[in-house]
Amino acid sequence: MSLAIDTERLTKTYGRKTRGIEEVDLAVEEGEVFGFLGPNGAGKTTTVRTLLGFLRPTGGRGEVFGLDIRKDSVEIRGRVGNLPGEFALEDRMTGEGLLRYFARLRGVKDLGYAHELSERLGAELHRPMRRLSRGNKQKIGLVQAMFHRPPLLMLDEPTGGLDPLVQEEFLDIIDEVRDEGRTVFFSSHNLAEVERVCDRVGIIRGGRLAAVETTDTLVDKSFRHVVLTFAQDVDPKPFESLEGVRELKSDGKKVSFTLYDDLDEMVKLAARHRLVHMEYERPSLEEVFLTYYERENGGER
Amino acid sequence: MSVVMTRGEKRRHAARRAPGGTLWALVSHTVRMLSRGVLIWGAAIGLYSAALVASFTTIEGSADELNQLMEAYPKGLMEAFGITDLADPANYMQSQVFGFVPLALAFFTIMVLAGAIAGAEERGTIDVLLGNPLPRWQLVVGNFAAAAISLLAICALVGVLTWGTAVLVDVELSLRQVADAVLNMWPICLLFGALALLCSALFHRRGLAIAIPAFLLFGMYLLDTIGRASDDLEDLRPFSVFYYYGSAIEHGIDWAHFGGITLVALALVLLAVLVFRRRDIYT
Repeated sequence: MSLAIDTERLTKTYGRKTRGIEEVDLAVEEGEVFGFLGPNGAGKTTTVRTLLGFLRPTGGRGEVFGLDIRKDSVEIRGRVGNLPGEFALEDRMTGEGLLRYFARLRGVKDLGYAHELSERLGAELHRPMRRLSRGNKQKIGLVQAMFHRPPLLMLDEPTGGLDPLVQEEFLDIIDEVRDEGRTVFFSSHNLAEVERVCDRVGIIRGGRLAAVETTDTLVDKSFRHVVLTFAQDVDPKPFESLEGVRELKSDGKKVSFTLYDDLDEMVKLAARHRLVHMEYERPSLEEVFLTYYERENGGER
Repeated sequence: MSVVMTRGEKRRHAARRAPGGTLWALVSHTVRMLSRGVLIWGAAIGLYSAALVASFTTIEGSADELNQLMEAYPKGLMEAFGITDLADPANYMQSQVFGFVPLALAFFTIMVLAGAIAGAEERGTIDVLLGNPLPRWQLVVGNFAAAAISLLAICALVGVLTWGTAVLVDVELSLRQVADAVLNMWPICLLFGALALLCSALFHRRGLAIAIPAFLLFGMYLLDTIGRASDDLEDLRPFSVFYYYGSAIEHGIDWAHFGGITLVALALVLLAVLVFRRRDIYT
């Protein structure tokens, strides 16, 4: 399988003090949905903007569909649908006007797919941008990135501002894009979303690519927040002594902790008492990062 | 999905997807976006000019007295403002309108072209636009072309309102004189717009891209105006673009100066292209 994105020691620095990205080696295969994860300021946006030619790399090399990011930026952008993270649209334009304009820039004659996408996402195409909420602008941003059926979609925080139903519709569209054999490269803070659609995940921290994992591996490395509520007061010490239990708090009938190990022993222990309620929560992606890196560094939490 | 293509084939394939109409699409879109501004600027300056044409009829009868009165003024002041004979409608319009209107009209191109790059960066709209297969040079040239066309439309509107009023109130101004006067404003306003575009490509900041050409605009105007009245500054006048502006309504367009100013504007656009091709885009 050939590569949609291929970088080798790709580096972008903004002078001495401001960090960008350093020696990023990235290989995204055609047809996969690749999640690009990292805390704010880690270098996600810099990577995308360097790949699209908005920023000039200071070192290394990069290719998109075999095209050089330094020399072939225009051709690359012809094959990419881009949703920037912090984007704005001209206030006076309507979504319809924007799509017609971009269709002309791309030589797209038929706006049928654009209208289909707009309908599915509930985008309001006939109101000026200045009158649209953040979520509605985001919908138009998504449609303009996808309407020309590009072989590669680069989406920075695509579901920011969208309500849950629209998020689900968007993820369905991403599934369809994958089924068509097209590639998606997207950054997100939403672990559930990443888990739902991404085949593989790249984690960037401090401008360096820390790991590339399959999504299952990333989720397996995460932990869960557990809250147990019993009918009577329970002794928290047996829970505290369980393997993988950290940060335990007890309040008579309620015991809460973070579980890093599998839940079998914990459930068996809880079942010895009359359990009234159990919460078993996925952590935020930010928390997974912290844990992941502390483990990588050999630290204990 | 994967099809093995050489790099050249990939480039040609990409080129087919984004045909060469991108520049035209950008220019026509930008002209459309500027159309409201064109109407506002054209109407404002055109109505001012029309009002001055209409006012000529009120002073026409007493022009001799006015000229005598003006003779009492310092000669330098008269020269500074290009007043030679207020009984002549062409001289009257040059001294009251076309002598200094470029000072205001240049702000149209300055504002538009300062916003083309640095303004789009500040607004955060540039990433979405350049997400399309639009070469950077086309963003620069396309915006300049759109500003040039829009400026021409403003000049035409000013011309129509000026000449139409002259016909209505029976003031002796020919269509040719008015056309020369409004067209003569085009290169000088374009020059300061091109400078704003260069600053926009250089500095990432719209405020700076407005301030620098605005400062030069006023500086050059003052240099030329004071230079006409002051022997000490007379030799410096050629360093002001207003020195080459002249009075087209009275003497016709000096095509050498017209072409020269236009060429300098084009050179600034070329510089802006070169600068913008190499630099990072920030949002």
